[in-house]
Amino acid sequence: MSFLKAFTKKLSSRPEFGVFVAFAILFVGFSLTATNFLTFESIAGIVTVAAELGIVTAGITFLMIAGEFDLSVGSVLGVSGMIFAITATAGLPHIVGLLLALGAAAVIGLINGVMVVHTEVPSFIITLGSQMLWRGVILAVTRGFPVRYWGDSALLFALNGRFAGQLRVSAFWFLTVVFLLAFVLTRTRYGNWVFATGGGPQAAKTLGIPINRVKIVNFILSAILAGLAGCIQFARFRSIDPTRGQGLELEAIAAAVIGGTLMTGGYGSLIGALLGALLVGMVRSGLIMAGAPSYWYQAFIGIVLIVASVVNIRLTRRWTSR
Amino acid sequence: MSQGKECLVEMIGISKKFGTVQALKDVDFDVRRQEVMGLVGDNGAGKSTLIKILTGVYQPDSGKIYFEGREVHFNSPKDARDLGIETVYQDLALIPLMSITRNFFLGRELVQKVGPLRVMNHRKMDEIAIQALRAIGVHVRSPDEPVAILSGGERQSVAIGRAVHFGAKLLILDEPTASLSIKESQKVLDYVLEAKERGLSIIFITHNIYHVYSVADRFTILEHGRKLAEFAKSDVSAEEIIEIIRSGRRVVGEDCGGER
Repeated sequence: MSFLKAFTKKLSSRPEFGVFVAFAILFVGFSLTATNFLTFESIAGIVTVAAELGIVTAGITFLMIAGEFDLSVGSVLGVSGMIFAITATAGLPHIVGLLLALGAAAVIGLINGVMVVHTEVPSFIITLGSQMLWRGVILAVTRGFPVRYWGDSALLFALNGRFAGQLRVSAFWFLTVVFLLAFVLTRTRYGNWVFATGGGPQAAKTLGIPINRVKIVNFILSAILAGLAGCIQFARFRSIDPTRGQGLELEAIAAAVIGGTLMTGGYGSLIGALLGALLVGMVRSGLIMAGAPSYWYQAFIGIVLIVASVVNIRLTRRWTSR
Repeated sequence: MSQGKECLVEMIGISKKFGTVQALKDVDFDVRRQEVMGLVGDNGAGKSTLIKILTGVYQPDSGKIYFEGREVHFNSPKDARDLGIETVYQDLALIPLMSITRNFFLGRELVQKVGPLRVMNHRKMDEIAIQALRAIGVHVRSPDEPVAILSGGERQSVAIGRAVHFGAKLLILDEPTASLSIKESQKVLDYVLEAKERGLSIIFITHNIYHVYSVADRFTILEHGRKLAEFAKSDVSAEEIIEIIRSGRRVVGEDCGGER
């Protein structure tokens, strides 16, 4: 009994505990109420949506743990997807297009990071500006028209092809990204610095941690992952419209926070991000399958976000306020 | 050597201005090996400025610093730390949400090669952290616990234990007992003596003359950026030190340096 108690206590002190419980409850709830929820197709559909969101969420989580925000990921996703689409229709090799798309994302991330670090304007404002700027650029360049591509390639399959029926390769990229970032965060020096940069920038600086460099690197990473998600999404739809990714930044931040990452930095988990993204994807499909009008999706996510934040802050406060 | 005990640090004629404010004027300050030096004085006396010069945070306008007999120039805190000058700041430079071990090794993580990767060696870091803390008399429940759940005294001890472990020759404690209970303060004073026992020199900066009096060997009293006095403990009582600070009366003491 005391073993069980110690075990639950240890478990509940993990950042992803809350989202794990919420995920389990919702999963059971949808399984009971939504017809066809527990089918392979339905699960695969959830994973496909969650994978694209989750890759963005993973990057944002990593950045949020370092104490910064990125509201521009939706626009970056659009920019990268658009570059990939335009270069493909122009006949460039897809690998070149992909590298250009990711390179552009990296440059945007670099600009975001350098601006935040050197102007000391909060990242919320800088990346809000960046979001509007790059969305505007997409609209101006495309004049508001979507870009379609009719071709195919091994690379497009590798990014997001379909296999084993309804499953898509994006799930593999999602897991890879989460695993790699989780590894870096928990097992490497750099991960230690990321926690420190968000958890106590002044103390970290005193101890010689290059907090500005950590932040800039994480901004770049967040942007590259958003760019990757854009290319993966293009590989799924083979088309991209100028509003692609709009609102995604908030969904990704919501998923990160639901996953137990603190808005204030210094605390969070990639496994939490994974579960958070899956939860958002599950709610989206599950509500429709349960017969609720799709409008309710956003309202429901809003409630989940608030409940998750309250639970998470209670859980962390329990052992930080002593 | 007037005292037969060599100086670890000697600062000579240190002056520093911030704009029009003369923060330090021609201050001499020294610490001998294996000695606890109490650096006392009222608010704005220049204690922190002097220490920040010694730790490389500020550069002096004039004056010289000798460490282990050699003249040194610190351009950054890292320069000072590389020579073995460790500071435990008032904020302790601890990160509440991180574990004891992660805090202990922050910026100096132990890594091992796993194939092409350099992976943190958590087990070894846990062991070392526990051992190092035990060596100065601190017992932590678990090295995985976040620093947030430790008491003020325990945090102080983690910060001191970290500094001692990472080869400090000179340990600088900035108001280490300021926010602690009486019991916890006593513990911190014990750590100070333990560290001295292990061969370190310690600069103890404080307002609380009674705390520093019980552990210090000598005292330097600053006032308005000047050195008011320097005493061996045997030549002065705690009440006299308080009286000097209160009245601002200048007394000339003797230093430990050889000839320069």
